[in-house]
Amino acid sequence: MLTRISGGEIVDPPNGRVGPGDLWIKDENIIEAPADGRADRTIDASGCVVMAGAIDIHSHIGGGNVNTARLLLPEQHAAHLRRPDGTPLSNAGWSTVETGRRYATMGFTTVIEPAMPPNAALHTHLELADIPIIDKGTLAILGNDDFLLSMIRDKASPDMIDDYVAWTVGSTRALGVKVINAGAAAAFKENVRTFSLDDVVPSYGVSSRRIVKTLQGAVERLGIPHPLHVHCNNLGVPGAADTAARTIAAAEGIPLHLAHLQFYGYGTEGKRKFSSAAASLAELVNASREVTIDVGQVMFGQTVTISADVMRQFAARGSAHPRKSVIHEADGNGGGIVPFRYRQDYYGALQWAVGLELFLLIEDPWRVFFTTDHPNGAPFTAYPKLFELLMSRDARNEAASLLPHSAMALSTLSTIGREYTFEEIAIMTRAAPAKLLGLEDRGHLGAGAIADVAVYRRDADIAKMLGRAALVFKNGDQVVTDGEVTHYRWGKALRLDPPKNPAMIRRLEEFYQQRYGLSLDWLAFPDSAIARDEPFGEVPCRA
Amino acid sequence: MSVAWIGDRETPFEQAAEKAAALLHASRCPLFTIDADTDGTRAAIGLAKLVGAAYDHPGGASLARETTLFTDQGGMFVTPGEARRRADVLVVVGALPDIHLSFLAELFTSPPDLPAVGQRRVFVIGNVSLPPGTDGLVEMLSCGGEAATLAALRAQCAGRKVATPVQNFDRFAEALAAARFPVFLFSGRASESPAIEMLQGLVSDLNRKSRAAALFLPASESGWGSTLASTWLTGFPMRTGFARGFPEYDPWRFDAARMIADGEADLHLHVSTWPDTAPANNDGIDFVALQHTDGPVAGAQVTIAVGEAGIDHDAVLYSSRTGTFAFKRAPAASSSPPAAAVLRAIAERVPGGAPDLC
Ligand SMILES: [Zn+2]
Repeated sequence: MLTRISGGEIVDPPNGRVGPGDLWIKDENIIEAPADGRADRTIDASGCVVMAGAIDIHSHIGGGNVNTARLLLPEQHAAHLRRPDGTPLSNAGWSTVETGRRYATMGFTTVIEPAMPPNAALHTHLELADIPIIDKGTLAILGNDDFLLSMIRDKASPDMIDDYVAWTVGSTRALGVKVINAGAAAAFKENVRTFSLDDVVPSYGVSSRRIVKTLQGAVERLGIPHPLHVHCNNLGVPGAADTAARTIAAAEGIPLHLAHLQFYGYGTEGKRKFSSAAASLAELVNASREVTIDVGQVMFGQTVTISADVMRQFAARGSAHPRKSVIHEADGNGGGIVPFRYRQDYYGALQWAVGLELFLLIEDPWRVFFTTDHPNGAPFTAYPKLFELLMSRDARNEAASLLPHSAMALSTLSTIGREYTFEEIAIMTRAAPAKLLGLEDRGHLGAGAIADVAVYRRDADIAKMLGRAALVFKNGDQVVTDGEVTHYRWGKALRLDPPKNPAMIRRLEEFYQQRYGLSLDWLAFPDSAIARDEPFGEVPCRA
Repeated sequence: MSVAWIGDRETPFEQAAEKAAALLHASRCPLFTIDADTDGTRAAIGLAKLVGAAYDHPGGASLARETTLFTDQGGMFVTPGEARRRADVLVVVGALPDIHLSFLAELFTSPPDLPAVGQRRVFVIGNVSLPPGTDGLVEMLSCGGEAATLAALRAQCAGRKVATPVQNFDRFAEALAAARFPVFLFSGRASESPAIEMLQGLVSDLNRKSRAAALFLPASESGWGSTLASTWLTGFPMRTGFARGFPEYDPWRFDAARMIADGEADLHLHVSTWPDTAPANNDGIDFVALQHTDGPVAGAQVTIAVGEAGIDHDAVLYSSRTGTFAFKRAPAASSSPPAAAVLRAIAERVPGGAPDLC
């Protein structure tokens, strides 16, 4: 099947293509225009912008903690049923089916679940497999687990650390490694309530910094394409900008990704001792070429926070709205589910402004990523509104005018004139995520790429334009037409498969027997456990 | 080997599937009870969506109590593995189902992985059946029923006076003062809802100054597994219905026992991938049984024999030993079909076609 999407405005910066032209799809792939120019089917895309399918690098779409959030909040769905256009959360659609549907209608074709507990990998993959249309991927959480902390304490060799990280990534079918408040969950087990970069985990004598550096080194040595994905200490705390700055400095020339930087962009100025430190953080990111960040933008309304930062979530229990929460302690990180409403008050307004400042003041769209840390800052269904805020200064100013002046006065947002272009959007949401994750087959529209394509009808209303794609193709299948899903298919979970060292498997077997009274077999599963055809797609490590 | 019956008469599988599909199609208010592995649950919910059925677990009452703790309150929990590794004080709150006894024995007799802690202290609240030979290890905490004991315990831990103090409280307080990680074990089977709620209040109080958590050991592993799968597939736990085409969760309305007793359901489809006793009395309504059985199920218009999950076919099951899903490889190949395959075969025969998803 040869399809020609004709007359659209192609926005494909990595291939240097920006302007009117045709795009050719043969079966699952994008191809060069054939010499005879004959298509089986031609689609008129005049008046449309044509981009690669979007890639979300950090969105909590599946796994035990996400599912517990669903269980904790059935009323959010009830609201959805009564008021289809109601609150953002009700629009998020909790189920796996709705997740795939809603992402696809916005032109997203690959989404990364960033927090898989290795011991519950099968659960995460069962859920990801039930999300239709899109491809998925997930990051394995390390850095609070007894095995790693003990190895660091006992001065294990880098080879042994690498073997353990490789085993974890391979056996859990992860696309990378994430560390969440390194050491804090282990310290919380010992009744420690706050934890910073140079604090030391009791019983192990290992600092948070040392855990981050150990994992960063292993990820680099193993050739895992995605840099270590770091959720820093002190999330949400006034003055957390200092922690983030020290973590950025700790990158020391080796790639490091900082997740949802907005939640650390807080200084201690003003009479409430809560101010924006986004400008100085952005400057630091601009100057640190090895560092990438995603924003974790806050948008107003009801949501639920889902995090494997169990210490932070425990501290946040008191702010639960509605008043219920789950704190879950596990072999590694555990986690917490705390529903929350972002209000247009001083604090909410400041968080909103901090996120936008980071987006607009970090200059290189290859190093700042588009996230709301779904659903922590806002459900992903808020993306169209967020695109509008980034692409229109007027929209931003109008939204800011409704917020407390006291908050806006402690942020630089009103002084920023920048508006994102479609080229920058294509880089930030397509090309850069593909590069960051090591996915060479997507994020661009060059010949040979898989045909993940999003076509948007131009509209002065940016949220409307980017919220409902005119057409979306996934692997060459037309899955969305005029903003509605018209065809369902199953995507894959993208994974790495680094070689496993048998000596490490024997050590782990012994460890699990001794500590947990369990054989490693309890954690292992074949691909067939997912009960779908080809549930996984392999991504190579760097040579 | 015969795998299907219409009434008492052996019949080819296709005919039985056809008949089941026809009954489902004709039903105004179909009800499913699902006791299945993960893929079986997925297929059953897919079929429920297709025919507008409501679904519940056959042991719905205990499961509903457990679900309510999460939907209404939440709490602080710990995985079984972490409890085994770190718990130095264990408190068993109410009777636990027998399936957990071997783990209980393991917990009672293994030392925690904590410096300078040799043996775990074990306390018990309520009428708890203990693993053989462990009676001598435990100390009773009591001043009435479970909820009353927990309420008094909570008050006394907070330093408040109570009318009837908890027997052995001093020993408990002394154990707690030295404890690094006390863990409270409970299930929804025997514990009344107020006790489950009160327990979380106590755990929350203890966490103000030190650490503690509750270990949830579900009344039914397959029930909890199906609840989790239902929750990600539809957004809602068991006791969800598709009567209006989209999922609606109502723990009262979609209580299977109530729907049958009140004559609301006009068809009952029961899926069980384990050897099973006969389900609820289905007098007067159509009954389709997909069970691990050698013969027709009494009272069923249609019986289709399905394999035993994890024995006749590989399966993914919830494990209360790990607190998550585990893969179970079947020891030998078998000709009994997985419930999921049977459910999908029925779905394909329902007029209107197979569902796009699930
Ligand atoms: Zn996150």
